[in-house]
Amino acid sequence: MNGSSHERSQVPPGVQCFLGEEARRRRGIEERVTSVFEGWGYEEIIPPLFDYADVFAGEALAPRTYTFVGRDGSLLALRPDFTSLLAKIAAGRLADRPAPLRLYYSGEVLRYEPPKAGRQSELHQMGLEHLGGGRAADAETLAIAAECLETVGASDWVLAVGHVGVFAGLTAGLDPGVLDRLRERVEAKDASGVRAALHGAPGGVRDAVAHLTTLAGDVSVLAEAHGALAFCGPAAAALGELSEVVDALVHAGLGPRLAIDLGEVRGLDYYTGLVFRAYARGLGFEVGSGGRYDTLLARFGRPLPAVGFMLGLDRLALLLDRQGALDASPGTEPEAVPAGNVADGLARARALRAQGRRVRLDGGR
Amino acid sequence: MSLTVALSKGKLLAGTEALFRRVGLPFPEGEGRRLVVEMDGLRFLFVKDMDVPTYVEYGVADCGIAGRDVLLELASDVYEPFDLGFGRCRLVVARPRGGPDPHRASTVRVATKYPRVASAHFLARGQSVEVVKLAGSVELAPGLGLADCIVDVVETGRTLEENGLEAVEEVASSSARLIVNRASYHARRAEIAKLLESLAP
Repeated sequence: MNGSSHERSQVPPGVQCFLGEEARRRRGIEERVTSVFEGWGYEEIIPPLFDYADVFAGEALAPRTYTFVGRDGSLLALRPDFTSLLAKIAAGRLADRPAPLRLYYSGEVLRYEPPKAGRQSELHQMGLEHLGGGRAADAETLAIAAECLETVGASDWVLAVGHVGVFAGLTAGLDPGVLDRLRERVEAKDASGVRAALHGAPGGVRDAVAHLTTLAGDVSVLAEAHGALAFCGPAAAALGELSEVVDALVHAGLGPRLAIDLGEVRGLDYYTGLVFRAYARGLGFEVGSGGRYDTLLARFGRPLPAVGFMLGLDRLALLLDRQGALDASPGTEPEAVPAGNVADGLARARALRAQGRRVRLDGGR
Repeated sequence: MSLTVALSKGKLLAGTEALFRRVGLPFPEGEGRRLVVEMDGLRFLFVKDMDVPTYVEYGVADCGIAGRDVLLELASDVYEPFDLGFGRCRLVVARPRGGPDPHRASTVRVATKYPRVASAHFLARGQSVEVVKLAGSVELAPGLGLADCIVDVVETGRTLEENGLEAVEEVASSSARLIVNRASYHARRAEIAKLLESLAP
């Protein structure tokens, strides 16, 4: 190790290494989640680990992407998310496939960010994208997210749903310089901060945006929101879309699992409709999130509406660990097979393996 | 399971205790207290003010009370539903009395407990900044030649005066805020709503 500044066994900050039991548990969770995706008729895509950097040129992700120069001088990037890659594939290799397309993935993404609150530089995401569908696809996506959480054995979880069109409708025409600050204060549910950021705006808009910070709770919040926001056509239309999806989910028995959160306005440059985050007791941050992004695919030449979500395997494993819900059954202890005589040992081990037993060759040289 | 509340055992403690008693919420008695106290359906964590948002952000505490100064510095991803009105102070840039204005220097050397707030303040004006991070007694730094100025909280301004400093600009005003963990807010809705209702100004 010439000139290296670190110890031989040191790992760079932000990466993880899983051994034995932990690796098995993660694999178990992954299998359960992907079996739900398969069960809803989604098709797995294994996209490349890196692609041209401009594939990932989203405003939020670009600064957190690991980029490097390829041998031919092109700028490449390690994938910071799957959605852009799936969009590219849907518009390219799958261009002839009629919509809707139902695709899923499971794998690592890499992001340049300091490890914090359950977030590493290398994280494993499991998710799906429904490309070319409308409101029914929103409801389907939420129902699948719910089934994933049920299937892995999580308890006390909720899907907090919102619609970015409510905030966008209310704030249309405001100075873009104000919007960033405003969005951050709405996201923090800081009503006085919202009012301060909007001190020059019309009183009605100021009150309505401040109201978004408290329009959160069970599905009855929607009725209150309809009353309060009826004056703004685009916001009311967004609310109507959200209500339609929520009604379908309530009808399907998921009402108690839903939380309405009209102050959920993150990723506004990317999401165009319904947005949601999955929260559960025992973990302070979301285990997954998703939403509608109707403009992304146009960038790849196949304008299709789209909705998707992903669960973080790292966070899900942490949650299940905290809730004591992890399948704790360790693999069975392997049977020791004496291998002092290698030929006999191997023959015996193969016979046991043919019966599906777990073996360990012992004593060979 | 009871809700966990993270509270500062520092400068916001007295105001927090007064508030809890006024609205009829339980609050542990006595000084020299334990760091974790369970009482009447609430679990209290008493931690350093700079650590309150961290406990809440990670969900170890469901909610907490933190100064806006600390929230600005840590940029924690928590809900801040309301201002509680006590613990008012200002985050200011202060220089030796009558000394050169730090906002005119090409590179500012600033001593502070708030490195993020301080560097953002000067960088936004196009100035280069060298932050000297201290854990306390920041007012001493300019007099001893450790820094040209400081960014710190002031309540009355007396400490500044005693150390030969004067405030030249307010960076932000601060007061105590109720903060809530994002997951608790949704996943423990009923309990959180009840607590918010009793603490609402």
